[in-house]
Amino acid sequence: MSGITAAERAEIRAMARELGHRELTPRAASLDAGGQDVLAECWRLLVELGLDRVLLDEQHGGAGLGIPDLLATIEELAVGDGGTAMCVLLCNAALATLADEQLEDVPAGARWALVPATSGTEVTISDGQLDGRLACALGAHGADGLVILLDGPEPAASAVGAGAAGLMLERDLEQMGLRAAPAASVELTGVRCAPALGGSDGRADGGSAELSVEDALALLRAGTAAIAHGIARRAYEMALEYAHARRQGGVAIIEHDAVSDMLSAMAVRLACWPGIAVDSAGLAVDPAQALAVNIAATDAAVASTNDAVQVFGGTGYMVETGVEKLMRDAKYCQLFPEPNWVAHDELMRSL
Amino acid sequence: MRSITADRSLREQFPRLAADGGGLDVRELERLRTRARRFADEHVRPRALEIDRRTGEDPSWFDWDLVRAGGEQGMLGFMIPKPAGGGGARCTQSAVVMEELCAACPGIALIFGAHALGFSPLLLGGPSQWDGVLAELVASERTGEPLLMACAITEPEAGTDVEDPDLLARARITSHARRVPGGFRLSGTKRFISNGSVARWITLLMPTDPRRPVETWTCFLLDTRSEGFAVARVEHKMGQRACPAAELTFDEVFVPDERVVSREGDGAGATMIVLASSRPPVGAIATGIARGAYERVLGWLEEDRAARGLLERQHVQLALAGMEEEIHLARQAYMDAATELDHGTLGGVMSNPAARALEHVPASFRRRARIRSWLSSDRARDATIALLHRSTSDRAMTRSLALSSMAKAHGGDVAMHVTGAALELVGLHAGPVRAELEKLWRDAKLTQIYEGTNQLNRLEVYRGLCRSETISCLPPLRRAQPDTDGRAHTNGDAGAYLDADAPRHASVDGGGGRS
Repeated sequence: MSGITAAERAEIRAMARELGHRELTPRAASLDAGGQDVLAECWRLLVELGLDRVLLDEQHGGAGLGIPDLLATIEELAVGDGGTAMCVLLCNAALATLADEQLEDVPAGARWALVPATSGTEVTISDGQLDGRLACALGAHGADGLVILLDGPEPAASAVGAGAAGLMLERDLEQMGLRAAPAASVELTGVRCAPALGGSDGRADGGSAELSVEDALALLRAGTAAIAHGIARRAYEMALEYAHARRQGGVAIIEHDAVSDMLSAMAVRLACWPGIAVDSAGLAVDPAQALAVNIAATDAAVASTNDAVQVFGGTGYMVETGVEKLMRDAKYCQLFPEPNWVAHDELMRSL
Repeated sequence: MRSITADRSLREQFPRLAADGGGLDVRELERLRTRARRFADEHVRPRALEIDRRTGEDPSWFDWDLVRAGGEQGMLGFMIPKPAGGGGARCTQSAVVMEELCAACPGIALIFGAHALGFSPLLLGGPSQWDGVLAELVASERTGEPLLMACAITEPEAGTDVEDPDLLARARITSHARRVPGGFRLSGTKRFISNGSVARWITLLMPTDPRRPVETWTCFLLDTRSEGFAVARVEHKMGQRACPAAELTFDEVFVPDERVVSREGDGAGATMIVLASSRPPVGAIATGIARGAYERVLGWLEEDRAARGLLERQHVQLALAGMEEEIHLARQAYMDAATELDHGTLGGVMSNPAARALEHVPASFRRRARIRSWLSSDRARDATIALLHRSTSDRAMTRSLALSSMAKAHGGDVAMHVTGAALELVGLHAGPVRAELEKLWRDAKLTQIYEGTNQLNRLEVYRGLCRSETISCLPPLRRAQPDTDGRAHTNGDAGAYLDADAPRHASVDGGGGRS
């Protein structure tokens, strides 16, 4: 990780916050509606700022930053739109697993996605060929390439270009949340793939992040937690503003305990955000802590977004308000990269 | 999908029925439930996702074929009184039907539920309403061209406010019914009105004096073909999309005197009675949603290859047991509220000899001009109110309202929790069942909001049960009306119909009463 100063780190976060506020929030409804043009437009903006390659070194067109910067960035982007933040996370995580020579083939501005084929999926690898299927792979639709992450007894990460023979991607039209990270069902029939994480020690040697499968999964979990936290922040902001503006029974609804109790609970959940522990080099997330934070942050986001809709009442149930979208996005965070009850299992195993 | 709970008899679902039937005709109730289930299986479940998708793209799209199919099964008129040609079912039956339909699709069920909510204020009008719109609704159902109703209460600046008399007094009501010769001119906007864009008739509540909304809150029966009425827009909702929620505008819409439901100023109490009878079915809606999620996840665990081995996990077993437990308790809550209302609070009204005798008067006689004129007179309306006072009390209504609110709030929370937990069990990679569960989860959220937010409902529980307060629900025996000079007077000689022994139900609480 480059030795950036605290001031620089704050500047990066501020830039991401400004981008989320100025560019993503106004487009959140269109992104949620699945507008590919809007996503492409947003992606161009993100690429211009180098947010697609935060973890890569300059040689590979990256910013050479560390995981804390990536997590801070996607948290701020998630305040604007959770789905877009998920795209950034998936792309950064995917590219960080690629080897030098693989990265050289990835053109600037390409959007890749890391696809965890963990529990509940039927993907296998044998003799360099991938077979199986996977439903609702976030960010896979429209991606230029995928890194498929196989967990289990023999962890592996495999890079597949979007046009690879035997790879079928079909847009998941039922996707309920994080819709700016368009999901696809993935069908793999003898797809030849290149092993990612090609370093001699089983870690990626291309970017500065040098991720292992375990690291990549931990990054996904930590990143999803950061996104959930960003979504919960947005829910709180919206609910608080509405509670001051809306009047019931002759007073602003924040004056009603029934409402202020919910807002207080949301504030408490935000205050309990523990942050994510990263190693001293800023290159790896502690896997157990990532699991724990993922569980806590996504549960908190689900609870807070549900409360936010409740504060809005009937108005919050209407799509145009934009607050019910936060609820759907938060729910998807709770299910990614695995449902929280599975994450609990993983956590107990790791402990 | 395997339907475990639907295979259970009513006596299994409601153990108390095994003892004495709880005052219910269990066999008849079972027949009604079977009819609802058949409709759900044949028409609702197979179309639920498709309708959700279509209405997600175009909120104003509406499936009239489905309404016609429901009409063929009597799903529109079973709550209408028998003398008007309907099935004569009450809150309990409505709740049981709602659970069945909602296990298949809450949005579609809401079409039928909102329709029943639309005509429910008319039921308070007694015989005067039997031969009007209620009979027309039944006739339309029989001819295969059903008409729908809606109930319009919520306003852009007043949602929760209008469902509680205390809040209503300080609410920002912008609608107004202005008295004119022969009736009223209605102006204003109503919002989030289920079935609002497809209803032929709408019952709606507005004050005749916006400065005194509680005292002048009045229920009107509106013909949606009236000049000045418009559907401003249909909302794009998170869930329960099959039933459109519309914003309605009223620009000096004329409503004649005879379409004032009950009496001017009786609306606030009537709203409480309507809510007491509509919240148990909302509890049932929520229970049905939870049951639908539970059945789907159980079916997936038993049948889907991707779920192999999961049923062996204690975590999954505990989650399923928790769902079963929550659903069972939510069901008992709505059944308690519904049976209390039907057989306790309003039981006396239904079993009153005079009321029963009226039901047996042939419609041909009742429809004679002079009889009809008398039935819609102030005297007859007052007599209906007097009967209500003789048969029940504000305290009993408040208690019923509290039980209903408890069933509604608890059910809504159960629906959210069970659908969320079911979704978590299957995860993102589960295939088709995921879309069904996601839809139910989106649908479930509304049950915590409509018919009063859960917070408001719990405050009703506090007042009605924790504090034993009494809310004025019953229309007063004599309605004081403002004269042109602003002085109050009582209408006509309604006093002639008062029973001298009728109890006056002042507040009986030990403090904090609101009567």
